[in-house]
Amino acid sequence: MMASCGEQLFSEIDQLRVQLLSSVGVTTESQPEGAEGEICQGGILSRIESVILGIVTSLSKDKAPVLVLPNRSSWANVSFDCAIGLQMSSEHSVTSIKSDCPSSAAKFAQILKILSVIYKLVQSNSYATKRDIYYNDTQLFVSQRSVDSIMDDISCMLKVPRRSLHVLSTSKGLISGDLCYLEEDGTRIDCHSSSAVVPVSSNISGIRNIVSSAKFVMIVEKDATFQRLLDDDFCTKLSPCILITGKGVPDLNSRLMVRKLWDTLHVPIFALVDADPHGIEIMCIYKYGSVAMSFEAHSLTVPSVMWLGLLPSDLQRLRVPEESLIPLTKRDESKLNSLLKRPYLSSQPEWQKEMELMQQTKVKAEIQSLAAIDPDFLTNIYLPNKLRYGGWV
Amino acid sequence: MQMSSQRKQRGLKTTGGLLVFLWTDRGSFAQRLNCTVAAAGPWCAGVEMQALHPDLKNSLFPCVWSCPELDPEELSAFTDLYGPLRFLLTFQAKDAGHCMSKWQAHIEAFLRAFSLTNAGIKVHLKFTFGQQTVQHELRVKIKSKVSPTDQLPLILDVACSAQPPWCVRRRGWCQGGHPVVGERLPLSIPPQVMDQGLFGELSVQFVALLRPCVLQYPNLLTELTRIQVLTYSPSNIPVPGPFNFFKGLPAALNCQQLGLDRIHCASFKDLTHSSSVVYSVEPENWEDPDPEPSHVPVQQSLLLFLFLHHSDPFTSEVNDTIAAEMLIEHHLEEILSNNRQAVSAALEAELYNTLKAQNHRKKKQEKLQSAAEVILSSTISIVSSSSNMDFRNACLNRMKVNDTHELSASLRESLWRVTSGKFLHSGKCFSSEVEEQPKSNESTRVEI
Repeated sequence: MMASCGEQLFSEIDQLRVQLLSSVGVTTESQPEGAEGEICQGGILSRIESVILGIVTSLSKDKAPVLVLPNRSSWANVSFDCAIGLQMSSEHSVTSIKSDCPSSAAKFAQILKILSVIYKLVQSNSYATKRDIYYNDTQLFVSQRSVDSIMDDISCMLKVPRRSLHVLSTSKGLISGDLCYLEEDGTRIDCHSSSAVVPVSSNISGIRNIVSSAKFVMIVEKDATFQRLLDDDFCTKLSPCILITGKGVPDLNSRLMVRKLWDTLHVPIFALVDADPHGIEIMCIYKYGSVAMSFEAHSLTVPSVMWLGLLPSDLQRLRVPEESLIPLTKRDESKLNSLLKRPYLSSQPEWQKEMELMQQTKVKAEIQSLAAIDPDFLTNIYLPNKLRYGGWV
Repeated sequence: MQMSSQRKQRGLKTTGGLLVFLWTDRGSFAQRLNCTVAAAGPWCAGVEMQALHPDLKNSLFPCVWSCPELDPEELSAFTDLYGPLRFLLTFQAKDAGHCMSKWQAHIEAFLRAFSLTNAGIKVHLKFTFGQQTVQHELRVKIKSKVSPTDQLPLILDVACSAQPPWCVRRRGWCQGGHPVVGERLPLSIPPQVMDQGLFGELSVQFVALLRPCVLQYPNLLTELTRIQVLTYSPSNIPVPGPFNFFKGLPAALNCQQLGLDRIHCASFKDLTHSSSVVYSVEPENWEDPDPEPSHVPVQQSLLLFLFLHHSDPFTSEVNDTIAAEMLIEHHLEEILSNNRQAVSAALEAELYNTLKAQNHRKKKQEKLQSAAEVILSSTISIVSSSSNMDFRNACLNRMKVNDTHELSASLRESLWRVTSGKFLHSGKCFSSEVEEQPKSNESTRVEI
């Protein structure tokens, strides 16, 4: 009986899984773990040396050195592929960092400094975090944000993933559920316990021996919702499953982890986000990627992500109390308009419909608004029914 | 002054020629100095020479005697250039025979100051003492038109002969300056000067000229080392700077706010006859008293023009205008002293504006220098620690050095040079090509 209930609960999910696997042409065999053809140590050093030689060559010709970086915020450099997401396809738009201009010389110096740090790390096969780099010379870097941004610029310029540059970052994401794996240093991680949540690893590429019987993975936008689900024992009630949160806009490691789970387990990945433009955008980052990291789209995006909730149509269908609904601000409307113009929306008519509904009703709602119906509505009614009856788009 | 006044009144063109010819002859008791002043060209068009002569003689007496007219042959070359004479006056200076060289120097200095602000007029100066003849033409290489508000435009000589610094290669070096019209300050006329007959509105227009111009070299470090103040009458004639006023000026300036250690008057002697006052400037916190030759800032000098302007609705005759100007010139010390605070503040403001650009450059230079240190250390760090011999040799060969130690020095020098010599073309500069430095042809070097 119990097994039958479980089968019923996951029948739609299992069907979805079959569809997904057939549409992306992936077999049920797991993908080999480890490096996915990442560039070797010598190649990385060679690319850095090429940059330095360019600088020396410029000076030998009495020309001020210039570093040319692809503009990571320009849509002109990005194209959409429904199998990959937003990917950098050209370098039409570039930024020139000049060494002889007072306004850009500091950035030029910061880039060179970080290149020299990376060079030493790769040479010695050691690792450092972005925080370590910042504290190495706080006067030069001024803020952690500048180090973070320059790291991504260097990764894009050298066409090497940041993790291959031996620079790690502390993850902010959390994970829980039916999942065990080994870290690169051999540490065994068990995410089953609901009382102790596991931080997302800072070295995703080093993870091996992933073991999980999860039927699905659910990405949760907010930490508050994630904690609420854990408190309600969601992972036991809807076992076997995996919950992961990036605590808002996801960092690189959270995105890499989601991608890793897809590559390894090939189970449906659902997103549970607030019914507002910000939540939808976060979900799009997991699914299609971001413009800023489009140069690494191949390893970051999961185009198969499905929108489980909270859907704008749910608000009407469930008759969420009006006092729980919030009017859209000007900023919300502007973001919604921008999302509707994104190149990937045309391949998601159902998403488009939901967003147009939000545009018409001019209201948004947080997942917590479901508590107005019943305190346990989210965990006991909403999510189980959504998963049982295929309420995703 | 008369021609300038007439010209001003009629708004006539400011081109033509001015000849000043000094020669000596031996009189019965001593050598006498004769002087001929001649003018031709559009700038003195409309001058009625015959009508002017009586007034001139009255104003010059008792300093001069009449003397025989100059041989027309002496003036033929001048008239060939500028057309028929519009003005000609010859006189003999009393008691000048015993200090010819001093007179020569004074007149030359006066005419140079005149030429600075009347650059459209070509000034010819000729001296014949005994058998020796010396001729100068005060050539104006570059002119610039300045149009202060409610005043006739001025044609200034903005040429600068300063040599470009070593880091300027193959690029245009501006050979002139760019005058900046400053404040126009009303001046109150002291009562005792009014008693002498000076009425109406008096003001002073400041114009600043900083040379050499480094606008096209945004990263070059500069240092103001000299300030020269020139005062001009309402007819744009240089007037001697009031000695006491200008001597006390540095004490009235807030050097700390200006970022200067001190300003002191460099030209004390002969101020009474000099049209300009020169101050030397010392920067604050001179940290590197002995910098590398390549890092010496470009020394700039500031010309501060004080153009006096006077208007009196009850004065319309040329003679009255000349009388007013002579009063202004004679009582300039009192006038400026009467307005000491305002004039000092205005001069300080002009200096502040000039030094603002210099200080801005210094801050930019500090940023560039700080960045350069990191760029160089990071580059050398990578080259030094690389095990890729091809890469290391390529770096050494590019810079034509033997080892990483030499590479560091060579890169440092090159980065400094390209940064300091950064060139941004400005359409308003008077650029010329600078000869390219010869390059050496050395063989490839490999690090052992």
